[in-house]
Amino acid sequence: MPRIEVLSHPDDGRAKQIEKALNAKGKKTSVRVVDVYTSEHEKIASKDFIESVSNPVTQQVNVVFDNFDWALEIGFLPGVTDNVGHTAQEIMELIGADNDNQCYSARLYLIKGDVNKADIEDLSEDIANKLIQRVSIKDAASFKKDGGMGEIIPKVVLDNKGAAADEVNLDVSDAELEIIGKDGIENADGTRRGPLGLSLQYLHAIRDYFQNVEGRAPKDIELETLAQTWSEHCKHTIFASPIDNIKDGIYRHYIKRATNDIRAAKGEKDICVSVFSDNAGGIIFNDEYLITDKVETHNSPSALDPFGGSITGIVGVNRDCVGFGQGAKPIINRYGFCLADPRTEPEYYRDKNKTIPILPPKTIMNGVVQGVEVGGNCSGIPTPQGFVHFDDRYVGKPLVFVGTIGLIPREINGKPGHIKGAKAGDKIVMVGGRVGRDGIHGATFSSVALDEGSPATAVQIGDPITQKKFSDAIVKEIRGKGWYNGITDNGAGGLASSVGEMAEQSGGFHLELEKVPLKYPGMSPWEIWISESQERMTLSVPKENCQKIIDFLAKRGAEATVIGTYTDTGRAHITWNGETIMDMAMDFLHDGIPETPLTTTFTEGGEAEPDIAEPSDYNQTLLEMMGRLNICSKEFVATQYDHNVQGSAVLGPIQGKGRVYAETSVSKPVLTSEKGVVLSQGLFPRYSDIDTFYMAASALDASVRNAVAAGVDFEQLALLDNFCWCSSDEPERLGQLKRAAEAIYDLAVLYGTPFISGKDSMFNDFKGFDADGNPVKISAPPTLLVSSIGVINNVDQAISLSPKAVGDVVYLLGETEDELGASEYYDHLGHIGKNVPKVHGPRNVMLYKIYCTAAKKRLISSALPVSHGGLGVALAKKAIAGQMGLDIDLSSIDLRTDKALFSESQGRILVTVAPQNVKDFEKAFKKFHHVRKIGHVAHSHKLKINNVLDVEINKLDEAYKAPLRDY
Amino acid sequence: MTAKVLVLAGYGLNCEEETLHAFEYNGLKGNIRHINDLIENPAELKDVQILVVPGGFSYGDDTGSGNAFAQKMKLSLMDQLKQFVARDTLTLGICNGCQILANLGMVPGFDSKYGERLVAVTYNLTARYQCRWIDVQIESASPWLDGASSMHIPVAHGEGRFMMDDKTLKTLESNGQLAVKYVKPDGSAAGGQFPYNPNGSTADIAGITDQSGKVLAIMPHPERGMFTWQRDDYTELKDAAQREGKTLPETADGMALFKNAARYFEVAKKDVA
Repeated sequence: MPRIEVLSHPDDGRAKQIEKALNAKGKKTSVRVVDVYTSEHEKIASKDFIESVSNPVTQQVNVVFDNFDWALEIGFLPGVTDNVGHTAQEIMELIGADNDNQCYSARLYLIKGDVNKADIEDLSEDIANKLIQRVSIKDAASFKKDGGMGEIIPKVVLDNKGAAADEVNLDVSDAELEIIGKDGIENADGTRRGPLGLSLQYLHAIRDYFQNVEGRAPKDIELETLAQTWSEHCKHTIFASPIDNIKDGIYRHYIKRATNDIRAAKGEKDICVSVFSDNAGGIIFNDEYLITDKVETHNSPSALDPFGGSITGIVGVNRDCVGFGQGAKPIINRYGFCLADPRTEPEYYRDKNKTIPILPPKTIMNGVVQGVEVGGNCSGIPTPQGFVHFDDRYVGKPLVFVGTIGLIPREINGKPGHIKGAKAGDKIVMVGGRVGRDGIHGATFSSVALDEGSPATAVQIGDPITQKKFSDAIVKEIRGKGWYNGITDNGAGGLASSVGEMAEQSGGFHLELEKVPLKYPGMSPWEIWISESQERMTLSVPKENCQKIIDFLAKRGAEATVIGTYTDTGRAHITWNGETIMDMAMDFLHDGIPETPLTTTFTEGGEAEPDIAEPSDYNQTLLEMMGRLNICSKEFVATQYDHNVQGSAVLGPIQGKGRVYAETSVSKPVLTSEKGVVLSQGLFPRYSDIDTFYMAASALDASVRNAVAAGVDFEQLALLDNFCWCSSDEPERLGQLKRAAEAIYDLAVLYGTPFISGKDSMFNDFKGFDADGNPVKISAPPTLLVSSIGVINNVDQAISLSPKAVGDVVYLLGETEDELGASEYYDHLGHIGKNVPKVHGPRNVMLYKIYCTAAKKRLISSALPVSHGGLGVALAKKAIAGQMGLDIDLSSIDLRTDKALFSESQGRILVTVAPQNVKDFEKAFKKFHHVRKIGHVAHSHKLKINNVLDVEINKLDEAYKAPLRDY
Repeated sequence: MTAKVLVLAGYGLNCEEETLHAFEYNGLKGNIRHINDLIENPAELKDVQILVVPGGFSYGDDTGSGNAFAQKMKLSLMDQLKQFVARDTLTLGICNGCQILANLGMVPGFDSKYGERLVAVTYNLTARYQCRWIDVQIESASPWLDGASSMHIPVAHGEGRFMMDDKTLKTLESNGQLAVKYVKPDGSAAGGQFPYNPNGSTADIAGITDQSGKVLAIMPHPERGMFTWQRDDYTELKDAAQREGKTLPETADGMALFKNAARYFEVAKKDVA
């Protein structure tokens, strides 16, 4: 069987990085990289194919390898998405091979030097993930003896000889029902199909429905469908359920009501166009366009396969954008990662026998960073904005936030751009990639805690190019033709979810499941129906337009298939080669879920305020603070992300001559319009240790304040909420949740900043075993990410964080109080404390309004909101960014200097003002009684504060940039 | 005359819209054309004076950046491409387009022998994608680069490292085809030093031309540095201008290429900024 081996030149960048990694472990080596392609089709050995996968200037093909000690090959396991293999397959088709001949890729490293087998195994742990990849290691002698690595074709072979659908007997004991809920439906051989995540209460409701209404037992596919549709992941049951005396639940009572109240109060100035009803939220950008936003999480999969989890997340949320209204064009991606310290290697296992360790934090960090990189960069969507936050409680379950902003005309085909809907009689058309077993049980899996039984098939890898082919065709070419009535993303829950949701618009559906194109034969119908294979969207298309869409997409290298019909029968109906395998009421599918009232308790956390000694060396303290993970530079992430594709970047992730990592961006998505989009976010998980109310309020305030500081119009600012909670079956955790929701209702209404979209992830807990084999549960701290999106009326009003000129005056806007509870400073000293920062809403509203006016008059030269690490860190970042000294006097703040420097009081912005603007600036802020002139930009290359701190900028610079520079 | 621009799209190319905008801003007219549509109707090239392969991630950079897309063009459009460059036309490849032109052998095209692969544009020495602003120095008689001596524009690529054998390098040099080189901000040679030379490129090469100078393959993105508001130091420039009571110019370094293209075909800019 042909195997093509492409040997790269000795100085190949990929090889050099492996050498560098080995060198860091004290191993001197030289490494060669070989790209390997295999297929069962003989075309792979043709000249045309070889030319397409190699470069004669730098590579050699199928030569004899010598001068190496070890060979390490990494390929994919059967069924895992292999994007390089997929491209190779397309090349084969291009050069005349018939369709459907799979190609597979692998990479071989030839390593020479001072290494033994254990070192190579060690290396393979670092660069491969055995959950999705195969690893083979040979020494040179066996390599020669065997004539190479051998031929491995990771072909999927499935044998489905079973019935189209099995009946499931639910008329069993509660104990048996509980097993079905947790481990899944039993196969004939006694194995189980994987978690349904259905509670006893839900299973009773399903049993009763089928007994009483349908008069029969449910089929496996029906039970799987209900498990998907009713999952926490899809139905958000915790946010929807009555909680204490709040009958309408957290979502309707706090989040949605905030938006409704704000919209009513704003009247004609309402910026919202489409909120909470579509795949993303949409607000007005200008007369011509809406901008849309959606932020998703992809936490559970990222714990198992960080790269796959994160790329699937970003490419998935891109589809949420394309699935907004009649189809929005993705214009910006954003990201956020909550991770454990990458410099540590904590020992935890998924199983009691300690055979399945968790992935090291560094591996998780590199994987999730790279996933967004490949997904976003390959899709041609700029990624200028995001954050990385560290807390060791994210060790077992990292949080991966991914967001996409879209642009859509306000009117398309004579209709509002955000309006769509499947009509009875429309055909169900599936567009994009084919269906495999990947992602089976993804939705139910992310709704439960991560443990040993977590299914590997829930992991998948996104394929951005397959997606780009059809998404470009849809939003740039087909959308304006009016060929489809409805469009939505195929995300969690696959067809079961997308067809089920769209069918609510028409009133039913009939799906012919055998028509769904598959990656490989032999899948069971229920697997096809709930598979989460990526890069798919579902359209509703009037019959007469189906062929037009299919033909057009074919010309764009994308596949579309008619797989059924939307109906108004009120039934969810599926056939498999003519045989009915599912037939139940739409009403039951969507509304049959039993109500589960929740009750909560709440206890404030924290400890007494600690009695700490004043630092003896402030220079040293500030340098240490600058190097803390939540403060130091994340430039290594920003420069890997293409942040200026589409030509729209105005203010990017790296600001100032001194390159400071900024968490707010300004983009100009329509090249012919002077308007811009401002994006930011806020997140303070540690504050939850004291009180989730202030954790949430601070997140919201920071998110708003960051955008205001950069120049957004405060009147045109909207928010997104992402709750990532833990143990949400415990009343105390639910109590924390309720308090957080209360906080953001109050503050959002006060600010007039509506929520337009949100997502929650309720079980971010790791259940496993420690180094001694004792059970442990590590819960992520209750985390609320508030993301902001707003409009700046002219990008020439954008304000960056770096000081611009010596002699400028430094002002601190807002009050600094004794609020170091759960701060970076206290954490640095090993304390939590009690005085968590409060948020003074009315005062902030006044500040933000005045600030907006001053910004429009260009009175502010630079601005940096005070955040993690307080004023001291903000001052240092400003000095680094401008590479200019600062002379600062904080004597007007009535606090001990360390508290003044490191308090994390919210509502503060640090600004510099040019001398000629000082008069107008002070006049503008006359009514705001919380403005302090604290110093000026100095000629020196030092940051000087209160005669207690006097440190060179280059030292601050090094402390700030060193910790994560080499990742 | 009315010169027409054709900007290719499809299979993961992604900079077609802003690149076309760059030409239109200078009064040129053109279209974005999906590669499959051009393959179906290659005669369209006869009506085109400027062909652009824009930046992007064709085929996800799988099997080597630009390789699969180049193969697709080679199999169905090679003769038409050779005829195109034989006419008085301009061809531009930016980033992924640069990699594609190199793999097609449209550069270096010694003695008009197009189709010979002599230059590789391969993995960055850091093995990392690099998105950052850099400085380049320009020494070329290419009509694309007329009047430009340096530029501050961004790179964004994982595979931007030019490699070739010594003979090719010497020939490129003596022919004046080493058009664009990475330099330090003060204009001195980058000398392979990261981040000034962001990818370890041989001889700090950022872009080369064919022997006629009318085909330019360049890794940095001029279309992302064509307006002042796109620059990484925009707020610094804006602030300085405000203090001096000056107005910032609307366009920045990268616009030179597109302006030159319009000038080459004697198209006047519709409105003078």
